[in-house]
Amino acid sequence: MHASIGARQLEPVGWIFAALNLIFLVSAMGLGIFLVVESVPILRLEGVDFWLGDDWWVGESFGALPMICGSLMVTGLATLLVLPVALSGALFTSEYLSPPFRRRVKGIMELLAGVPGIIYGLLGVSFLTVGVKDALNLLDGNTLFTAGLLLAIMILPMILTLSEDALHSVSSEFREAAESLGLTKLQTALRVVLPQSVPGIVGAVLLGIGRAMGETIAVMLVVGSLDRVPGFNLFASGQTIPSKLGREAAEALGSGLHWNALMALGFTLFLVVAILTFSGHLFIKRNSQ
Amino acid sequence: MAEKMVRVLIGCITFLIVALLFSILGVMLLKGLPAMHAGFLFEESRDFGRAGGVYYQSIGTLILMGVAVLWSLPVALGSVLFQTEYLDTGKLKTFLTQLTYILNATPTILFGLVGYLLFGVYLDTGVSWVTGSLILAVMILPTLQVSIREAVEALPEKYREAGMALGLSRPTQIWRIILPQSFYGIVTGVFLGLARAAGETAAIMFTATTFSGIQFPQSFSDPVPTLQTHILVLAQEASNPESIAQAWGAGLVLLGLVFLLTLTAWAFRARVVMESEL
Repeated sequence: MHASIGARQLEPVGWIFAALNLIFLVSAMGLGIFLVVESVPILRLEGVDFWLGDDWWVGESFGALPMICGSLMVTGLATLLVLPVALSGALFTSEYLSPPFRRRVKGIMELLAGVPGIIYGLLGVSFLTVGVKDALNLLDGNTLFTAGLLLAIMILPMILTLSEDALHSVSSEFREAAESLGLTKLQTALRVVLPQSVPGIVGAVLLGIGRAMGETIAVMLVVGSLDRVPGFNLFASGQTIPSKLGREAAEALGSGLHWNALMALGFTLFLVVAILTFSGHLFIKRNSQ
Repeated sequence: MAEKMVRVLIGCITFLIVALLFSILGVMLLKGLPAMHAGFLFEESRDFGRAGGVYYQSIGTLILMGVAVLWSLPVALGSVLFQTEYLDTGKLKTFLTQLTYILNATPTILFGLVGYLLFGVYLDTGVSWVTGSLILAVMILPTLQVSIREAVEALPEKYREAGMALGLSRPTQIWRIILPQSFYGIVTGVFLGLARAAGETAAIMFTATTFSGIQFPQSFSDPVPTLQTHILVLAQEASNPESIAQAWGAGLVLLGLVFLLTLTAWAFRARVVMESEL
């Protein structure tokens, strides 16, 4: 067999498929390339200060630090909140539920993951912001904490279902061997199954973080949209990279330094999410081997 | 004893997670149904979304998602068939698979930004439904690819061998064996793609849609109103009870549409599983 495909093997139909594949290739690569090219003017002007500056005044300076800090805090919080819940759910679904119930839980997770961001946004605006405001006695419920909480709910189904896949893929021989050695079901789950599925779970969490980093609409509606470096105060309004993009893309549409600055923000986001996704899939693949 | 407590605890957590779906559904029904007067789906929205229905918004959502799939399906089908039928396993194939994953995880707002520049500015389609559907087409490409690839790769090897034994050329093999046999997988992909496009807001809010004043698009350069942006605008007027009531109504319609599309996709996917088990 040939190691790769040579032009001679392609008949006309093959060329059509190759062309369609090229469209896919170009649109996927084009996305990254465009983000880089369009952020060149602002990066050439400001250099590293673009990421380190904390002032974003259209027409004067563009500093991305408030958005970067906001994104990190919101996703960090969401991950911390979701981990214990998602892992408990995954462990129970994989180790204790019968196959029909397991399938039902997985199906419900898939439906839940498909709920549009705007619906979560609407629920967040109507209940979560009010709830956070009343429970913590704040003046304004639109805080980084609210956004983190909402994101935790949004990425829960994805992390649960992917870590459950990792747990479930551990061969049942291990379970049988452990139980024949006298380990209880829980001991087997925690000491035999869980350690073996660590790479898969890490992968699931990385993909979940990537998802949380890029969520725009729901976060935009509850985060308060205030550009300032939040310090360590979670209970104040803030801004994330996607919420900033969502708020200002319409005004800056298509041209000018403001647009370049937004594209540079987008490029930063793209880079982080691409690395998270790439390494996430690497971990998941290693788990399945 | 401790073992039992842990089991009860994580069981309760799982139950609460599952209950989350039903509470979201419950809240949407509770809040959305009061807005659903007769004809909510078939009336124009009036008074800046505070009264009337969501007829043109629903049409806009359907146009965007439908046209997006029309753009996306040939590309998804062609690229998957190229990768599975023509390309041997190797670096290029791994790279293309990784690219699908990364495209799938890319924050949707970035499709909006780059897509606006690429289609809206360079192809000169402006803020319009054409721009929006092209953007959504790229966004749902991985969804379609994954479903189609799963179906094509699930085909038993003996089908291909039988085709080769009959001396069929590769195009004939694809046309007579691969495509008919993976039909349900393709349809699954289409419906999942439609659902994903219907639920998307960030990528189209500044590239394809408008809040009010437009009904049917009259030309290729007209924006459309959509359910998603309708909810987005109304949700930000949270202090106005009439607006928020309409937002719940539109939200219920949108959620219903997305769930309906997903469940239809599942019905077709069940056929894929059944046939691969034959």
